[in-house]
Amino acid sequence: MTETGRVTTARTAPAQTAYVSRRTAQRAAKRRPGGAAGVLMTPFLILLTLVFLLPVGTAVWLSFFSDDHPGLGFGPARTVFVGLRSYSAVLTDPTFLSGLGTVGVYCLVYIPLMVIGSLALALLLDSGVVRLRAWAQLGLFLPHAVPGIIAALIWLYLYTPGISPVIEVLGKADITVDFLGLHTTLPSIVNIALWSNVGYNMVVFYAALQAVPREVLEASVVDGAGPVRTALQVKAPLVRSSIVMVAMFTLIWALQLFTEPMLLHQSSQMINTRFSPSMYIYDAAFSRNNYSLAAAASVILLVITIAVSYGVTRWTNRVDSAEENVR
Amino acid sequence: MPGRQSRRSVLAAITALPLTGALSACSGNDSAAVRSGSRSRSGRKGTTTITFWSALRGSQQVVDAFNKTHDDIQVDFEQIPSGTQGGYLKLSNAARAGNAPDVATIEYPQLPGFAIDGVARDITSLVGAGLRAKLLPQSLGQTTFGKRTYSVPLDVEPMVLHYRKDLFDRFGLDVPTTWDEFADLARTVRRTGGGRRIAVFPTDGMSQMAGWCWQAGAQWFDISQGAWNVSMADAPTRKVAGYWQRLIDEDLVHCNSTTSRLYDAQIGNGLVLTRLSGAWDAGAQMKGHPEQTGRWRVAPLPQWTPDQPALGTHGGSTFAVTKDSRHPEAAMAFIEWQVAHPDALKARLSSGASSQYPAATGLVSVGRAAFDRAYYGGQDIYRLFEEEAHKIRDGWVWGPRMTATGYVMQDAFARAGAGSGTILSAMRAAQDGTMPDLKALGLATTQHST
Repeated sequence: MTETGRVTTARTAPAQTAYVSRRTAQRAAKRRPGGAAGVLMTPFLILLTLVFLLPVGTAVWLSFFSDDHPGLGFGPARTVFVGLRSYSAVLTDPTFLSGLGTVGVYCLVYIPLMVIGSLALALLLDSGVVRLRAWAQLGLFLPHAVPGIIAALIWLYLYTPGISPVIEVLGKADITVDFLGLHTTLPSIVNIALWSNVGYNMVVFYAALQAVPREVLEASVVDGAGPVRTALQVKAPLVRSSIVMVAMFTLIWALQLFTEPMLLHQSSQMINTRFSPSMYIYDAAFSRNNYSLAAAASVILLVITIAVSYGVTRWTNRVDSAEENVR
Repeated sequence: MPGRQSRRSVLAAITALPLTGALSACSGNDSAAVRSGSRSRSGRKGTTTITFWSALRGSQQVVDAFNKTHDDIQVDFEQIPSGTQGGYLKLSNAARAGNAPDVATIEYPQLPGFAIDGVARDITSLVGAGLRAKLLPQSLGQTTFGKRTYSVPLDVEPMVLHYRKDLFDRFGLDVPTTWDEFADLARTVRRTGGGRRIAVFPTDGMSQMAGWCWQAGAQWFDISQGAWNVSMADAPTRKVAGYWQRLIDEDLVHCNSTTSRLYDAQIGNGLVLTRLSGAWDAGAQMKGHPEQTGRWRVAPLPQWTPDQPALGTHGGSTFAVTKDSRHPEAAMAFIEWQVAHPDALKARLSSGASSQYPAATGLVSVGRAAFDRAYYGGQDIYRLFEEEAHKIRDGWVWGPRMTATGYVMQDAFARAGAGSGTILSAMRAAQDGTMPDLKALGLATTQHST
């Protein structure tokens, strides 16, 4: 009895400890990833709160209040809740809407050029056609290392009649170009942005192309595909996710167009102080002293950016799944 | 090599531009230091020290003359950059930080904005009857809103016609007295002037356009009904806009910026026969083009109805006491001396030729005596200014955000000059771009959009 009892206890004890230890292990396993995630996420969350959520919250708060000047406005100002008044002011301001239109056109011109251009360069480099590949890569990437404001200054110099050597040389060949005229300002800005960023995105694409398995490429060569066909029909579809990512980042960056037109504005009356939504915001805050208007415009721009990014993501996902279904 | 040098200097200027904003944004601390320093000094000496910011030339000389002759009040002067992105931004930022100078220089178009923002203090009770009596009523009218005075005018600048006497003589032209004659003259010059034009329509000329519309009877902003009524395309404005549009369409005038090197060349090479601008521009012309001595004269601006002459102004500055001033009485004493004392004008003129027309009419004789008439072939331009100043139409009001309004207008002018839109559509665009601003400030507004 006792023996069996002992045996049973002897048998059950380890089983129990095993059971207990499994539970603690489970609990620990449950807790550990959670704790790790918490530890790892905390700095991110702190920064997110400090540099994103708080400013956005402040902007939203500011946009609903105003230092109001009732009547003719010469009396003392008082801070009042104004609801959506600033939003309606921004949305009925033709200068803001035309700025949105300008940026819309800019995106339509710039994003395809940027994506196609940098992808083409990456494919060229990857195909091995280019000699001195490292140098070509460096040369294309280098402009990205130039800060945006310096880049704009360099181009402002090249665009400004009277000081630009480019215009001078063209002038000697009897070609008159006005880079900052009525219809040339947008192409001029697109040019600066392309110059600055094409190299960076090319590197992104090039890295993605490096990950394409060699067997796939060999298979396509065996199947008789030439280098162009390989590039367009084999490699390009394989780096699709990079293309979507680059397009998305370019879009977000393009919607916030500011540095280039702000600087070119010094040289051309065709670029006004409210050329893009970001310039409108700057002008509202620092030239018109109208912080609630600037805050409302900022929130509107943020909402548009999020909405467009979300739309693009949804669209590419749908196209993706549609393609999967076809396959 | 001069080409290379100018290229470098222009480039340097371009490079410096974005920095001015940053510098002025940082300068709050500087002025605070200056102020605290001056305060301790004033405590020691028993005199009141006030600070003064201005972008006007000759201000240092005026301050020196004031300090030399006054023991009870001493002025610390700081020269600030001119323009919206320079001095005005600095002033707004300082006011926001609570350390604006005691006295600031504000031009007429910007005054309502600074008054509404509370930067310019209500000085109605500080401006004595004696000073009021000395000032041209039309000038004080522009610094007074609803019976409250916010600054004291230094100069008032009737718009006049500067013309090339030598070229008028060579082509046998008469000085126009009406706008119809001016248009006919423009056609004659276009026909016979060998590629010359009568004038430039300034694409950066909100203030010129305002002067012309003001003369024609326009009232872009009206506060007589207790709200800001905006009507920047009213009947007189439409008349003026249509007039200039015809001149542009018939290629009778150039259409470009007047702060460009192109304009300098147009004036310097005699390609443009007249300048339509304020009285001050006579002195600026002397400094800018000393080689043209004897070739220019000044005439009254053409009129729409000569039997009922009217005029607008172009340019001019005022002095405001700011909300942060701890010594408003001392600040006001300094302002009064600056605008109304003969020594102040003499000191200002000592920094170089100036043809500003003082708002304190008693000082006109001082300006006249100090002005070298040789450049204008002996013409007594001050007598002309005096006659013209009295024609200035009373009741003009600048808008609450005139700089921004002007930007929208000028951008549209430039586009009109490039063939996209018209002068009138620029005026409508300016109004449409101004209304949301005023509404978002909480001002009572009405619109008159016909």
